[in-house]
Amino acid sequence: MTRIVTMTVNGEEHELPSPANRTLLDVLRAEGGLTGTKKGCDVGDCGACTVIMNGKPVNACLVLAVEAEGADILTIEGLQHGPDRPHLLQEKFMEHGGAQCGFCTPGIVMMAKALLDENPAPSEDEIRFALAGNICRCTGYTKIIEAVQDAAEELNKARAQ
Amino acid sequence: MTIHDLPVATKQTFSVVGKSVKRSDTLEKVTGTAVYAGDIILPGMLHGKIKRCDIAHARIKSIDTSKALALKGVKAVLTHENVPRVLHYGSPHPRSASVTKDQYILDDRVRYWGEGVAAVAAVTEEIAEEALGLIEVEYEPLPAVFTVEDALKPDAPAIHDNGLDENNVLPPVIVERGDIDQGFAEADLIVEGEYDLGRPTAAYMEPNICVTQWDGNGKLTIWSSTQTAFMVRGALAEVLGIPLNKVRVVVDHMGGGFGAKQDLFQHEFLSALLARETARPVRMEFTRKETFFGGRSRHPGKIWLKQGFTKDGRITARQARVVFNSGAYGSHSPGVTNVGTAAMTSLYRCDNIHLEGRAIYTNTPIAGAFRGYGVVQTYFAIDLQVDEAAEKLGFDPAEFKLKNAVREGDIAPSNHPIVGHGLEDCIRRGMAESDWYTVRKAPKGDGVKRRGWGIGCEMHGSSAYPGIKEQGNAIVKMNEDGTVTLLTGTAGLGTGAHTALSQIVAEELGVPFEDIAVVQGDTDVVPWDIGAFASHTTYMGGRAAQIAAADVRRQVLAHAAPMLEAAPEDLTIVDGVIMRTDGSNRSIPLSEAVAPQRGMPAIQLVGVGTYTPTKSYSFGAHFVEVEVDTETGEVAVLQVIPVHEIGKVIHPVAAAGQIEGGIQQGIGHTLSEDYVIDLTNGRSLNPSFVDYKMPLSMDMPPIRTIILETAPDPGGPWGAKGVGEDPIIAIGPAIANAIHDAIGIRFRHYPITPENVLDALRAKMKEA
Repeated sequence: MTRIVTMTVNGEEHELPSPANRTLLDVLRAEGGLTGTKKGCDVGDCGACTVIMNGKPVNACLVLAVEAEGADILTIEGLQHGPDRPHLLQEKFMEHGGAQCGFCTPGIVMMAKALLDENPAPSEDEIRFALAGNICRCTGYTKIIEAVQDAAEELNKARAQ
Repeated sequence: MTIHDLPVATKQTFSVVGKSVKRSDTLEKVTGTAVYAGDIILPGMLHGKIKRCDIAHARIKSIDTSKALALKGVKAVLTHENVPRVLHYGSPHPRSASVTKDQYILDDRVRYWGEGVAAVAAVTEEIAEEALGLIEVEYEPLPAVFTVEDALKPDAPAIHDNGLDENNVLPPVIVERGDIDQGFAEADLIVEGEYDLGRPTAAYMEPNICVTQWDGNGKLTIWSSTQTAFMVRGALAEVLGIPLNKVRVVVDHMGGGFGAKQDLFQHEFLSALLARETARPVRMEFTRKETFFGGRSRHPGKIWLKQGFTKDGRITARQARVVFNSGAYGSHSPGVTNVGTAAMTSLYRCDNIHLEGRAIYTNTPIAGAFRGYGVVQTYFAIDLQVDEAAEKLGFDPAEFKLKNAVREGDIAPSNHPIVGHGLEDCIRRGMAESDWYTVRKAPKGDGVKRRGWGIGCEMHGSSAYPGIKEQGNAIVKMNEDGTVTLLTGTAGLGTGAHTALSQIVAEELGVPFEDIAVVQGDTDVVPWDIGAFASHTTYMGGRAAQIAAADVRRQVLAHAAPMLEAAPEDLTIVDGVIMRTDGSNRSIPLSEAVAPQRGMPAIQLVGVGTYTPTKSYSFGAHFVEVEVDTETGEVAVLQVIPVHEIGKVIHPVAAAGQIEGGIQQGIGHTLSEDYVIDLTNGRSLNPSFVDYKMPLSMDMPPIRTIILETAPDPGGPWGAKGVGEDPIIAIGPAIANAIHDAIGIRFRHYPITPENVLDALRAKMKEA
């Protein structure tokens, strides 16, 4: 049975049709046309589908679309401030080489965003812990950690001013 | 910045090459707008799924698809009875000695647990999935073998009828140099050992995926996650019986491949056939589980190795038998066996060599190409044994490796002379950076946790020569505003290849990097390319791009010469301005020189570059500190200092990224990653990211990457060589040798699991 699920995605209200057993991930991608959120395993192991739901990071493959009724969802497409105005985290991932094949990148950037929202000055260990559920197979994580650290520092500097 | 040493290349200053410019592919990636094959959504698109067998070796007695076809929403079902029966190459390299021709799209026989037996197309994924359960297959079981030992027994079932005995995929590879008996006769010390190698798999983040569509004129378009678009085109055309201009392969971004996405997979054929039968686009995506069943792993295997040494530390003889487990199909076994075996002639110098390499079919999942291509395995054995010999002879292992390191003029595995002293440079630099003598002498600890340092070395070729005669091509066009378009067939695996190629074109033309746009990933548009593998993209594709750019540069200068009243050879282009080199200060902006006249382009500026390389070698030495927990058996890698010599570095950050990622995968296969097969029935035991244990953010140590440019190769652009595969090779032996330094135990296998460590510690205690 298909239902219409109403949710706010990237600041806009959407009415998306979904069978009761379809995941938020599949509905965002197929019905919402938001293919920036990736499917790497579909069982919550890899973190490629991380989105922010009501302020908390979730694996969109572990959330049924119908559970997102009324929810506020932020996906990678909603992170930048406008055309040609990437979010600082996105800038830092580019600058440090934190993205290689790019398939884990949207999930990792969203997880990093959720981390910095909660903890604006994380230690390296805290960043590594926050990203423990996000598999990257290309980078060895070195440049990802550098990018998140650098973004955090710059955000804090901007706040202090 | 973690790169400590990037000496300026000799004779020439660079304006774009050697700088970590903003990669052209990453804005799309960080904003989620990059299009991968799985992001293609077409009107009326169906979803395809593969039914996989749950038996390791059997003949299919019957398949009943009637119930599946009757399910509402199912549009087509394919089995071996209604797909073309064409024997095809497992990997579509063109007629090379690297691959076997032993597969059908669907066969009336299955050779490993998890092989596809049927395919369904339906209006939703859920219905397709449900239909798989309605297909009834009756199997006649055949005897199955899961280990090389069993497959070699005289009464073992023949898995393929290829005319070779004992389930050999190819006739044994024999490599001989010098006089092996004489070599052992000269030895003061002989060390012999057997090395057992696990089954790591590439585990790329993007599962295999393709979308296929036929147009009204019988032309097939396939969006696929592949490293080898033109090979996919060739194999599809051949098997489906259509000309090359009726197959278009499109790959924009891809989510990693690491070598394993250069095979042609069952779903690529099946998706095309389902789309043709239903006259609708069909999308087929592997589940993560299927990437294990239907993907390609590194070859497991066993290596018996014996070497002779003199008291003064020379290697007098090296004899080895390498036996790779190919799994149910040949795939890249011929290439892996040839490359891995021949590699043993080198790394550490030895004149008397006898090597035998084999690959054997078993009823297990398919081993294929994976970063390091046979060399990961054989250099693991060599480096561990050389480390062991150093200890027995009373040498420091780094000094011993330095003493025996391959050097300029030595004959490489490809039978070419080695260029430069790259390996020696890496070892020396790593010893200095790690403060080697101090850290090796430091106390190992006497509590629960013991620490140690190890060194591992490697060298690896850029290009698959001589196994495959390769070719790179590029087209460079200059537009009438002076901007440039590069057309390249090389795939964007995520390495930054297109950025590197753009840098090369910008440097050659003398224009800003930002003026280069790349067109790639569409076989109808770009020049033919063999694919992105064998660490050759910068070396070969980069050289082809450079040749094409040089061609355009010549044309531009000839066109501009009359405007500046000078001969073309007295002109140069700097930062987009054509100027005379005679100091007269006369110049003209490129955009003006090539500007249209009366609305028409003044000149068509198109350059073509074709390059057929031989081979260069890159070198590396990894210095690693580990901590062994003697209570849990866990091994933690505390830090890695990788030193790589890769010729001219085009993009330092991208090169370092390759090194760090290779180390991550190498730590994985050395300590935890192993795709495990039940040896009683051939079933896969851990086909998921939870059970297949990869090192993640919490496990990865700090990595201090050092890149040297001391042995540039004349074959690459400004001496550039490959780096993609190198880092995964040296890390394994470095870790195993560091474990020995920490606890005095030499493991001769990977992965070295906590159970193995505890067992060995207990055995050692018993002995004492």
